[in-house]
Amino acid sequence: MTDISHPGTAGRGIDRSRAIYWGVAALTTILVFGPITPIIFQAFLDKPLYDDTAVVTLGNFSRLFSEPGMAGVFFNTLYFGALTMIVAQVFGAVMAVLVGRTNLPGRKWLGEIFIWPLFVSNLVIAFGWFTMYGPSGFMTLAAKTYLGGAPWNLYSVTGMGIVAGLSQAPLTYLMCLAAVTKADPLLEDAARSTGAGPFRALFSVTIPMIRPAIIYSAVLNFVVGIEMLAIPLLFGGPSGIQTVTTFLYNAGINAAVRPEYGIVGAAAVILLIVVAFLVWLQGFLMKGAGRFVTVRGKASRPSTLDLGAWRWPAFLFVFAFAFLTIISIFGGIFMRSAVSFLTPLIPFWKVLTTANFEHVLGSANYVRSIVNSVLVATIGAAIGTFFILVIALVARRSDFRHSRALEYIALFPRSLPGIIAGLGFFYAVIWLPGADVIRGTIAVLILAFMIRYIPVGFGAIAPALAQVGEELDRGARISGADWWTTVTRIIVPILKPALFSCYALLFIHFFKEYVTAAFLYQPGSEIIGTTMLQLVAQGDNGPVSALATIQVVITAAFVIIARRVMGAKIYG
Amino acid sequence: MADLVLENLTIKYGSVTAVDNLNIHVASGEFLTLLGPSGCGKSTSLFAVAGLNHATSGTIRVGDRVLFDGNPNNTVPPEKRNIGLVFQSYALWPHKTVAENLAFPLTLRKIGRAERDERIKEALGLVEMLPYADRYPFELSGGQQQRVALARALVYRPPLLLLDEPLSNLDAKLRERARVWLRELQERLNVTTIYVTHDQAEALAVSDRIAVMSMGRMRQLGTPREIYERPADSFVADFIGSSNFFDGTMIENGTDKARIRLADGSEIVTPPGAAGKDGSVVVAIRPEKIELSSETGPNTMRVSIDQRTYLGSVWQYAVRSGPIEFRIQTPAELKEDSILVRIPQGHCAVFPDKPGAN
Repeated sequence: MTDISHPGTAGRGIDRSRAIYWGVAALTTILVFGPITPIIFQAFLDKPLYDDTAVVTLGNFSRLFSEPGMAGVFFNTLYFGALTMIVAQVFGAVMAVLVGRTNLPGRKWLGEIFIWPLFVSNLVIAFGWFTMYGPSGFMTLAAKTYLGGAPWNLYSVTGMGIVAGLSQAPLTYLMCLAAVTKADPLLEDAARSTGAGPFRALFSVTIPMIRPAIIYSAVLNFVVGIEMLAIPLLFGGPSGIQTVTTFLYNAGINAAVRPEYGIVGAAAVILLIVVAFLVWLQGFLMKGAGRFVTVRGKASRPSTLDLGAWRWPAFLFVFAFAFLTIISIFGGIFMRSAVSFLTPLIPFWKVLTTANFEHVLGSANYVRSIVNSVLVATIGAAIGTFFILVIALVARRSDFRHSRALEYIALFPRSLPGIIAGLGFFYAVIWLPGADVIRGTIAVLILAFMIRYIPVGFGAIAPALAQVGEELDRGARISGADWWTTVTRIIVPILKPALFSCYALLFIHFFKEYVTAAFLYQPGSEIIGTTMLQLVAQGDNGPVSALATIQVVITAAFVIIARRVMGAKIYG
Repeated sequence: MADLVLENLTIKYGSVTAVDNLNIHVASGEFLTLLGPSGCGKSTSLFAVAGLNHATSGTIRVGDRVLFDGNPNNTVPPEKRNIGLVFQSYALWPHKTVAENLAFPLTLRKIGRAERDERIKEALGLVEMLPYADRYPFELSGGQQQRVALARALVYRPPLLLLDEPLSNLDAKLRERARVWLRELQERLNVTTIYVTHDQAEALAVSDRIAVMSMGRMRQLGTPREIYERPADSFVADFIGSSNFFDGTMIENGTDKARIRLADGSEIVTPPGAAGKDGSVVVAIRPEKIELSSETGPNTMRVSIDQRTYLGSVWQYAVRSGPIEFRIQTPAELKEDSILVRIPQGHCAVFPDKPGAN
């Protein structure tokens, strides 16, 4: 055999792999820190960021803390976050064990229902709660009429916290479900063989092993609670209860009238620090979680516990939860969109109308917001998937010297509340030279959403990447392929299913996003979420529910298509 | 084909030295095996030659091409080394058919379609896998995957072939057949080959020369016969085949023989060897080299049989003489409780310390 001279394809002069490493690292760093930097600057400047005469000051923080009622705002935020977390954890974990590990009747379809809320924004959910359980809500009126009184009051921090907790329970449910069903049944069998009864085995062996899932989702829900806008805005607004997010939202929206740049910056920095600390805490608490990892390569079917006589009482409990906190919420939105006035006192068919949909579809602005939402989700998810894929490949599959740093930066947006991301991009497009061209376009929305959800997409791609053996890369390298050829020709084709899942997850997140867009949209670049926010503020509940219905229907259609056609894995 | 030269090759990970000052010259067309227990640095060395590990210092040269000149920032990347490598896990790309797996390296080398197809055919023919060209890797058995992996490493005709435990995932019977076949193929292609294994039987069967490694250092480099019959130290004597080790004291160390007193008080004559500072030595002798004797004489001892184990082709007896316990192997079935054995002088080796101490 004759020797072939050295492969000629790999590397032509400059090393393109290294150019990609540095390019991706630079782009990620700019995009992640671009919106944070102006906020931090603004927090320490006495005049607007773009004013050349601004000087450095700590005055914003002292003004923030001396502002009357500010202590109350921070207390509300923490209390609301804590309550959200506790309620979500208790219900989510209980539902996960009942659905995942017992012979509860109907556990299959109940389990399906539990993940519905994850597909829609908490603005839609909050509006559903308002429609059903608000002061003149359907359920409230029904309870007053038939039971003589409705013992709930959503217009209090406690009420808001319970609502937020119940609507976040599905997130806890999802994470704990994965843990209880993946726990190795052999470990329970081992407990059984040493003399533990089935319930004893469940509580002594399996429940402790889902502790990481509970801790992880607890911190997550706390973060979700303190950065949530919809529920505090809808329920806190009318009774004058403010949290940090509604404070930022109102101050930011009214910035044109009352120049409060400094205070907004200071409050945003504090929120950022708190959330960053919580995310760090989450990582800290998860250290050593390896001893709980029992996931085996071998697929094993977890055994189910026989509830015996408790089967039907348990079913009633789980069904009541699903009905009262999920089915009735979605049902309420659909019903409200189809009637002129929703009340249990007048028969449904007497108030049926298509006026709400006509109102929405007859307005060029509203139709444009629907079109924009679809565009942002479709195009943005594609760009986002590509960007996140390249980040993951460089961070996990290259010899880039700063790959770990890149991953840290890319995952930093976990600590970036949507309202701050929105505010930051709002500042950044004014502040960064040349960025003005995308101001008020859907391009800036796509960019902001993409940054915010890098961690979501990364979470879909990284585990799949870890499944692809490193020898496959090494085999390609030794065969003569450089890094870029290796990842594009060998790794990416194998990752295809994970890329579909990433696309689907990003689509859903982009489509339901509203907080991040609140400061960024302008006439012409409105999306469903921002239009709903506007309509809610005006009290136009009919069109809001019509828009919400349209959003839910489009999401449902997408989820069905993504699962059936693309085979994407979305929430199990 | 080309020769491979490793000079003072050292690979460090932080403060851990994985490979320490390795010097090997592999002649063109030679089949050299790196043999050692896991963690000895054999795979690390192999991957450094491939460019998939970064060497710390030393030189790696294939033919007249320097792949590593001691400067860690100036190594030739793996894709420019033009080396064939077969992985333990085969690393066949699951989304490509057998033919596509082979086509990939050829496409990268911009080889035209006609010649590419020709070469794929030729390489698959060599490993007798031509009928499976359109299969996907998951449709093949382990042995077939291993052949395809080999074909993929050979299809671009590299001057150097690296094999990282390529047979370890096959079952015992198949492994024995595969190594014979592998050696025949290597001889036919006359490709310089580095083979990594921890299986000493495999190493003895296929290699021109074996480099025995332990804890990052090369303990001995030689032909299979040299390694087996004249181990350089007690580690090699213990790792290749198996050996009995007798503690003793050097009485006399001459130019052609030595006299050693064993722990039971008897004296034996051995080839000369180095003793420890206090005159203590260990004498290594393989169980199958110990002979049964009918009369007393030099190097004979009377032993009692403690345990009898039937191994199929031979019997193994655990025997003792006073404090000395050792094993002997012989095809004969021994009914006696006590026998006379002879330790052949020529098959003994004398080392200053036991395996594990060095």
